[in-house]
Amino acid sequence: MAGRTPITDEQKEMYFRMMEEIQAVDFVLVELNLYLDTHPDDQQAVQQYNEYVQRSAALKNRFQSMFGPLYGFGNSYSASPFSWKEAPWPWQV
Amino acid sequence: MYTYRKYYEPYVSPLDPCPPMRVKSYETPPQLYMGFQPPNLPQYHPREALKQGTLWPALFAPYTNPYKGPGGGVDGGGENPDNG
Repeated sequence: MAGRTPITDEQKEMYFRMMEEIQAVDFVLVELNLYLDTHPDDQQAVQQYNEYVQRSAALKNRFQSMFGPLYGFGNSYSASPFSWKEAPWPWQV
Repeated sequence: MYTYRKYYEPYVSPLDPCPPMRVKSYETPPQLYMGFQPPNLPQYHPREALKQGTLWPALFAPYTNPYKGPGGGVDGGGENPDNG
């Protein structure tokens, strides 16, 4: 488990790049989810949705293995010591 | 040039103490014209979609501020497209 807080410039750059990628993939998932609410039988969209779910999970696993848990309360594995409260928090980033 | 912004002239009362706004406008975003969204519309790249605020270019609706445009100064007597 890499250190919790990105310290070196290279880590910081990686942190922001991966975070933006996660946000982009999650936004696509939100849009597709809303679209599928009204178009449940659009096979192509469902297939794309599942593809992005995998991508999102892979990105988050990679991110969390480097920078610690993204989510609390059972949605992310934790390092030991329990590093959930460590910086940076979203508003500090 | 077709735009999503529509204009109307509100009634101006002679008793109106403030300088009248002769022409006002409102935004009509594309989803009003689309009705039920057809499947397989072209999509933005994920990163671009995040910036544009929607996954489909057809639904992209930038809110242009009528008061900040070249024509309408904020302090002017209200936004007035024909005064340049």
